Amino acid sequence: MSKAKAPKPKTGLARCMELAQDRKGLVYFSAVLSSLAAVASFVPYIAVYLIVREIVSGYPKVNGAEIWGYAWLALIGIAANILLYFAAIFCSHIAAFGTLYELKLKFAQHITHIPLGYHLTIGSGRMRKIMDENIESVEGFIAHQFPDFVASVTAPAVMVILLLIADWKFGLCTVVGIILAFFVQFMGYGSKEMKDNMANYQTALEDMNNASVEYVRGMPVVKAFGQSAGSFEKFSKSVKAYTEWVLKFSLGWQNCMPAFTTIINNIYLLLVPFGIIRAMHTEDYRSFAMTFLFYLIFVPAAAGILNKIMYVSESFMQIDSNVARMDEILNIPVLPETERPVVPASNDVTFEDVSFSYNGDAENMAVIGVSFTAKAGTTTAIVGSSGSGKSTIANLISRFWDVTDGSVKIGGTDIRNISQQELTKRVSFVFQDIFLFKQSIFDNIRMGCPDATKEQVIAAAKAAQCHDFITKLPDGYDTVIGTKGVHLSGRERQRIAIARAIIKNSPIIVLDEATAFSDPENEYLIQKAFEKLMKDKTVIMIAHRLSTIKNADKIIVMDKGHKTEEGRHSELLAKGGRFAVLWADYTSSMDWKLGGKAVQA
Amino acid sequence: MNLKEKLYLSDKGWNDLKKAIIACTLTNLAMLLPFGVTVMIFGELIRPLTGGELDTKKLWILWGVGLVGALLVFIAAKNDYRKTYIASYQESNATRLRIAEHLRKLPMSFFNTKDLSELTTNMMSDCSSMESMLSSTIPPLIANLITVTLTCIMLAFFDIRLALCLFCTVPLAFGVILLSRRKQKQLFETQNEARLEAGGQVQEYLEGMKIIKSCGLDGAHFKKLDNALQRLRKTSVKVEMGVGVFMSGASMILQAGMGITVFVGTMLLINGRIELLTLLMFLLMSTKIYGPFLAVLSQLSSLLNLSVVTSRMRTLLSTPAMGGEGEAASGCGISMKHVTFGYDNEDVIKDMSIDIPEGSVTALVGASGSGKSTVSKLLARFWDVNDGRISLGGKDIRTLSPDSVMKKMSFVFQDVTLFNDTVFNNIKIGSPTATDEQVYAAARAAYCDEFVSALPQGYDTVLGENGGTLSGGERQRISIARALLKNAPVIMLDEATASLDPENEVLIQKALARLVRGKTVIMIAHRLKTVVDSDNIIVLDDGKVREQGTHPQLMEKNGIYRKLFDIQQKSMGWGV
Repeated sequence: MSKAKAPKPKTGLARCMELAQDRKGLVYFSAVLSSLAAVASFVPYIAVYLIVREIVSGYPKVNGAEIWGYAWLALIGIAANILLYFAAIFCSHIAAFGTLYELKLKFAQHITHIPLGYHLTIGSGRMRKIMDENIESVEGFIAHQFPDFVASVTAPAVMVILLLIADWKFGLCTVVGIILAFFVQFMGYGSKEMKDNMANYQTALEDMNNASVEYVRGMPVVKAFGQSAGSFEKFSKSVKAYTEWVLKFSLGWQNCMPAFTTIINNIYLLLVPFGIIRAMHTEDYRSFAMTFLFYLIFVPAAAGILNKIMYVSESFMQIDSNVARMDEILNIPVLPETERPVVPASNDVTFEDVSFSYNGDAENMAVIGVSFTAKAGTTTAIVGSSGSGKSTIANLISRFWDVTDGSVKIGGTDIRNISQQELTKRVSFVFQDIFLFKQSIFDNIRMGCPDATKEQVIAAAKAAQCHDFITKLPDGYDTVIGTKGVHLSGRERQRIAIARAIIKNSPIIVLDEATAFSDPENEYLIQKAFEKLMKDKTVIMIAHRLSTIKNADKIIVMDKGHKTEEGRHSELLAKGGRFAVLWADYTSSMDWKLGGKAVQA
Repeated sequence: MNLKEKLYLSDKGWNDLKKAIIACTLTNLAMLLPFGVTVMIFGELIRPLTGGELDTKKLWILWGVGLVGALLVFIAAKNDYRKTYIASYQESNATRLRIAEHLRKLPMSFFNTKDLSELTTNMMSDCSSMESMLSSTIPPLIANLITVTLTCIMLAFFDIRLALCLFCTVPLAFGVILLSRRKQKQLFETQNEARLEAGGQVQEYLEGMKIIKSCGLDGAHFKKLDNALQRLRKTSVKVEMGVGVFMSGASMILQAGMGITVFVGTMLLINGRIELLTLLMFLLMSTKIYGPFLAVLSQLSSLLNLSVVTSRMRTLLSTPAMGGEGEAASGCGISMKHVTFGYDNEDVIKDMSIDIPEGSVTALVGASGSGKSTVSKLLARFWDVNDGRISLGGKDIRTLSPDSVMKKMSFVFQDVTLFNDTVFNNIKIGSPTATDEQVYAAARAAYCDEFVSALPQGYDTVLGENGGTLSGGERQRISIARALLKNAPVIMLDEATASLDPENEVLIQKALARLVRGKTVIMIAHRLKTVVDSDNIIVLDDGKVREQGTHPQLMEKNGIYRKLFDIQQKSMGWGV
């Protein structure tokens, strides 16, 4: 996060304003409107005072016209309050929805330009959560909380000024009451004990949430081992701990909160004794009584406004962490795009002394000083145990990450000097996890080459061995993935993905063959599909089943990030090194049987 | 449906809620005291202006009464604070435990649902929102309703004409809200649709990112996302506007009552048909009375849609728990007789009969979708059959308690769940009564020793959430160690190993060989070579048993099995 000379990143409110950008004016305007609305809410009180004054001063003669004028004033005040607030909320919503829209778009755009590797490590679930929840919260903040907050600051300020102007002595009494109310309230926040309780309560809440996830996730295992009672005990302990702390925390306010409520509803009690004393000594009783009445009528308005402040201040904390989550992703640097793109001369893939570490940490290298060349049109297999770095090599070819050291070249050109577009065109990556869009199968295949004709799509589907099952579907190629009743097995989906790669027809194919053993028929079909895909291409294959690579032009053996051996199958076997050990393990595991003698005690 | 059911409350919770409402009402009533005292002070203050004398003594007394009133407000507020918070936290405590307890009794099948973790997270947050509804929304709201009603009646005693003026707008305002409900609902529905659409686009965009990028489609998909988000933005503004218009309209109508009161009140005063003080009281009241109404008004729709909050809870708690009380017999031969079963309407298993003698090795073979994993789940009573019966040691498993069936079986499946706990405890889960020595022995027998001792704190290493740091092969060996420790007589094995590296595979196979010694083994086989020594190979297709027998018998029969076996031999030899 902290870069040496970068300006301090903005957080919370400031950051929200920055996000609202060109809508800043609208946001401020809504804050002004909302403040005006709050001030307008005083008007009915003042109108009632004026009416009372009118009636009392002329009593028993009453000037109806004058009073009706004030009645209209009250109604206008009410209407102004409602309309101004409506306008405020409307402006703030337009700003908020607009900002939300732009933020989401910006976020979506940003994540297409960060190295794809981040998507693998961060995961789409978390990305989605950020888009759906964290970014969404900016909307509520701009739309509701911000204008309310501004109003809840300006309205009391205006009120205090009015109170002090009308009669500074009574005004002062009222202000003392307001200060007292806040003092009581913040007494609760300030105390050491309450801070501890707050921390404990937060921890307990977190514990309970984690425990609940673990409880449910582990339930199948726990049930399978007949231990659900113990697991329930554990979970219920965390629930009880939470309840205990939340109660302690809440009850910590049991005096402050009611005291606050009591004070803001009884500020008049401060005025009364003072008023009585003044009443006894005043020269002009009439005008004094009018002033006193004004305060008695107006002061209750304080209660509603002060209450609002309490609610608004809470929301400020949350927006901070929400915005921070989003910025975490937005701060990931985009993959640098070259200024002078070079079109590679051939489809040879070369690693030159490549080192790479996922976290930039020299201690934790995933690949160390690896060099090899995969000649155009040949098949190169990469083998090794899990964690040996073989998948990392595949990721580096497609530039999911940029190398830490050395270079990856295609046709002699460093891939960092090839335009993103050209690289995508040249390299196809066939993934283990297959994603199909909720579109027709036809569109899903055609994605590999957006201007392919219908015939070409069908030809690709045939080559990938999926034509048969597609035509058996109710709507054939027009079947939309994800519609009810359309169920494709994992193997069928994989074949569609292969068809997509076939139609794309990139000269370089990176293949992760991590296939689970499935039923024999499907397996066979997938292999045929692979054959079609790999024909005449430069293939880099991460192999798991060693029998698959017997005829590979080159086998690269990885161990703990280093390349330990390189050569053809027969050469490596003859050498009797690491590959020979892997091969022996492999053949013995393939011959393994369960049953018969194995089971006899 | 009444409120208690809508909120899904326990009896205690319901009683507590009632108490909380009463407490809130008392607070509201106490709050009228300052108002009453103010009105009376008013009366005293204007007396000199209308020809009377200023009675300071009376004012002091009123001040004293005001102080007592303030004390009462404090007591009432404290009482309602305690009542609402304590009650709501206790209630949600009870609800959380109730849900957890219920979860424990649900059939295993329930836990195979895809959105399970989401469901749980939602549930926990539902409990939290219930918590805040019960503490700070519902009781004050209902108390408001009660108090304003009482106030209406009280004011009517003073002067029915002005009371009518003050309240005549209430039904109108509520009428506007209720009438606009349909329109509002419509608006919310369009917004919801737009939101779902946008959510779907976001999901596709994120999950399909790899494809989108590798096919260079960011432009086209970005456009779709853009359109969906744009639409959401437009509908959202429209909805906000629509709802805002109704709400603002209603509250304006409501507060117009103030003007009517002033007009009528002044008329009455001019004509001498009302006391000055009564009018003043109504005027003061008119600044105060609409607040509670507005609160109710703005919460009305959420109050009417309460059941949404509890619907997820309801779904979960109404999922029936699995019955059966009996203890399993000592034998553990398994048989399936004329079993039919389907997850939805479509039968996946059709009139199937299978016999698995104690101590034998049975392999289930077939294409994906043939029903082989369903069979294994039925045997372990993850689900109950729709028709026919399954017996374990001669007893119908539906009569046995799910726990006692589980006691008989161990599972070694492909996806292994690990807990955020030490390696030791993760293995020990196989048998809580095992000694430390037994745990280590099981770990050694399952070839865990080597990789565990390479971990920073050996067996005491905490694995982190779902054991993220371990490789697939290591996880599987831990699950075998668990099963070894449990030492159940029946072993269910799903051999669908995502290709592991050869070293791991060899170790797992060795560990498995130890596990199955002397047991009744049921195995879902994918590599047919693995099963050639089985006592019985059952070939499934489309939910039915097509062939069964030993490997030589089936090869000789020259049927489906033979065909599958040959294809696999060929594909095993496939190379590039």
